[in-house]
Amino acid sequence: MEQKDYFEWSNDLFSVAKIFDKPEALKGVRVLELCTRVFGPVTADLLADFGAEVIKIELPGVGDLMRYVAPRGFFWQNISPAFTHMNHNKYHVGIDIRKAEGADLLRRLVAKSDILVENFRPGTMDRWGVGYRQLKKINPRLIYQGNSGFGQWSVFKDRPSYDATSQAMSGFSATTGFPDRTPLKVGVWIGDYTGALFAALGVLVALYHRKKTGKGQLLDVSQGESLIRVLDWTWVFQTMSGKDRRLYGNRDVAISPSGIFRCMDGFIAIAAMDDVQFKGLCKAMDRTELIQEDRFKDISQRIKDDNNIELYDMISKWSITLSVEKIEALADKYHFSAHRVSNAKDHFDDEHLRLRGAVWEFEDPLYGKVVEYGPGPKLAKSPGRMKWFTRPIGFNNEHIFRDVLGLGEDEMKQLEEQKVIGIWMDRMGAKPPDNWDGKDGVFF
Amino acid sequence: MIMNTEEITSWYNWAKEQTDPNEASKKPEALADLLVLDVSYGNIGGLVCSSVLSEMGARVIRIEPSIGDVARNYSPFGIRHIDTGLGYLVESRNKYHITLNLKNIIGRDIFKRLSKHADVIIETFPAGVMDGWGTGYRQLKEINPRLIYTALYTYGQFGPMASRKRPGSEIANQAYSGLTYINGEPEREGPADYTVPTKTGSWYGWYSEGLFAAYGTLLALNFREDTGAGQLVDVSGAECLMKFIDYNMGWFHMDGKVKERLGSYDPSVFPYTFIKCKDGYTFMAAYNDEAFNTLMEIIGRPELIEDPRLSSFMQRTSLENEEALQDILEEWSTRYPVDEVIKLVQEAISKKEGRAAAVVTGKVTHPSETLKEQNWWDRGSFVTFKDPVYGKLTLQGPLWKMSRTPPRLKWICRPIGADNEFIYLKYLGLGKDKLVQMKRDTVI
Repeated sequence: MEQKDYFEWSNDLFSVAKIFDKPEALKGVRVLELCTRVFGPVTADLLADFGAEVIKIELPGVGDLMRYVAPRGFFWQNISPAFTHMNHNKYHVGIDIRKAEGADLLRRLVAKSDILVENFRPGTMDRWGVGYRQLKKINPRLIYQGNSGFGQWSVFKDRPSYDATSQAMSGFSATTGFPDRTPLKVGVWIGDYTGALFAALGVLVALYHRKKTGKGQLLDVSQGESLIRVLDWTWVFQTMSGKDRRLYGNRDVAISPSGIFRCMDGFIAIAAMDDVQFKGLCKAMDRTELIQEDRFKDISQRIKDDNNIELYDMISKWSITLSVEKIEALADKYHFSAHRVSNAKDHFDDEHLRLRGAVWEFEDPLYGKVVEYGPGPKLAKSPGRMKWFTRPIGFNNEHIFRDVLGLGEDEMKQLEEQKVIGIWMDRMGAKPPDNWDGKDGVFF
Repeated sequence: MIMNTEEITSWYNWAKEQTDPNEASKKPEALADLLVLDVSYGNIGGLVCSSVLSEMGARVIRIEPSIGDVARNYSPFGIRHIDTGLGYLVESRNKYHITLNLKNIIGRDIFKRLSKHADVIIETFPAGVMDGWGTGYRQLKEINPRLIYTALYTYGQFGPMASRKRPGSEIANQAYSGLTYINGEPEREGPADYTVPTKTGSWYGWYSEGLFAAYGTLLALNFREDTGAGQLVDVSGAECLMKFIDYNMGWFHMDGKVKERLGSYDPSVFPYTFIKCKDGYTFMAAYNDEAFNTLMEIIGRPELIEDPRLSSFMQRTSLENEEALQDILEEWSTRYPVDEVIKLVQEAISKKEGRAAAVVTGKVTHPSETLKEQNWWDRGSFVTFKDPVYGKLTLQGPLWKMSRTPPRLKWICRPIGADNEFIYLKYLGLGKDKLVQMKRDTVI
């Protein structure tokens, strides 16, 4: 059988235009999110990307405190970009679960849900009577994901933790940056995201197990432990050599060559991952004689630190004489790895990313045109998708309470009066856009 | 009367009892029914993906060329432990290791026969390479429609960049994702070696890629449980990591702003920074107003609560005011050792509640100090494990604490081809003589 060109086939297979004609991987999976800030909301967002029905439960009025974290105080249509990118495709409801009637609503939701994600301090939900111990009696199939800084039963369980707590205490910061400089906090909330990804992984494993056995379980994921886990060879190196991993700047001390280099007009990543790619790089540099030299001839020689340093310097001296674009063209021609240090604008304008739905433009009924990073992995048969943007607190109250819980008009009114359920307060970050007509985006 | 023991046990003790990693081996494994072929080459991300699956119980067969995966060479300063570098050693856990020459036509045939048994295949070649060998998803799905084929490549399986055959790499993932652009110290008075886009010290470009690949694979496995259908999962580490670059894209599309490098400052929350103490550094955050007030009390400067530069959340996030506040904090903190600073904060917040208690710290530790922290050992984040071949090593333990199907470590690594005899006999019925023949034909 004559086969199509691979890329003709794959472009068609993954075509973004066809995504909404395909099923979702997490169809029929209902997730309750009881989270604030980053670690928890990202966990639920990773599930919402692939079709889980995430109900984000916020405290009426003020809601998730992340709503008020805004770069240089910038808000757009009364919401912050620091909040939106981890809250899409979700249903937003406002319930005060600290009140008895609120806890009761939560229990009723749990009875009809598959997964609960929370990131309160360990033991808080339990104290409120809605921890895993109590909820599993209502729903033994429940998968309960507890996110915290140090774990549900760590000696540090009562210590608050943010992303950078884990960066600091894990050793991540002490191994990132340049020698003799102050320790560097990574420019993104890496402890939160890494923890969230591990949490989502655990949930998916538990869901798979539940499909086989019908049984739910408790999962406990910590930020600090997540960063410890991703610190590659650090620990085995420390214990074998007795030496601390130090700051090595932009040079990888375990792959040679691999690093960030300065060009005429920007910065670029360059690496040669094996001997074939190294030959390609030497050709691009017009230094094919290096391949003959003992110190560079194979990967086991190049990785010796003196040789690695020398190679890094040689490439630095070469890259500074060329443009970013020129080096990328050489990488295409000679097959070594190179990619420019990209920023948001580069991504926004990148045709490749647009075509792949990695940069995803869509129309939200409440906020209009929105551009976001699309779901991470691309699944050919059950792809992730962006449906809608974030919502003000309690925006989907009526919809969810009526559809999922079957509450009637009077019941809802009473709960509102008791301040058990509620919506946003009049505050930037919490409320709808100023020009909202009271209808746009209201599904029910 | 039977006492309800659950209710009287503290959450801490109960959760520990349910999820203690020391009890893991007594419990079932969530993915015990799965067979995974990991044919990744020169890419630790592929290994991280299969590590997640193997810790959760999948049987993973690592397929290497007869001289071994080039990734066995990625090791700090070229250190080797027996036949293997340290990067590889950490991510070979629980995997069987066989050799197979995919450049050889008989080798490809054997690979196809193995794929008939497989649930998941993981590969990391540039897009189209496996397809060109006749061992890509297009060909394998014909013989195994339930197969989930997870391909990791910086530029993905489709889109204009995918077909150029430019190699991907750890550092290319970091650079393309936007992480390096945002990470590091800003340029102040002219260029300096350290005021440049800065890579994370560890292989975050690979670890995030591998974790996202496991996430894509698990989504596909859950979908297959419902539908019986396998699929191709396309994972670009660069794109996946974009999901973690905070509000990079949102801020650009809403406000035209590009997120820049700011050292340890954060443009959306402050204080949220590392501060210098007498003998080192600590993370210090108190960004919501209530927490900020608490911190000002701690440092003995309550009058600053009223200071117009610092009095509100938004005021505090201008660069100018962040710098001023950094100095104010360090004027205080440099009088005390790190541990004392943390103790003072802990004492103060123990008397506060809710948002006023959100003063968050964390000592910036070197890996050697992190390793001395008993908490991480109690939690199983670090384990000292005796491997039958590689001996006693200290490395990261499995991350998740799970009540029903916890992950576990069974062995650390296997030498090249160590499991040829077992695996080829078990799955293909190839006996000793056959293996000798295959060796002669350079198939294994």
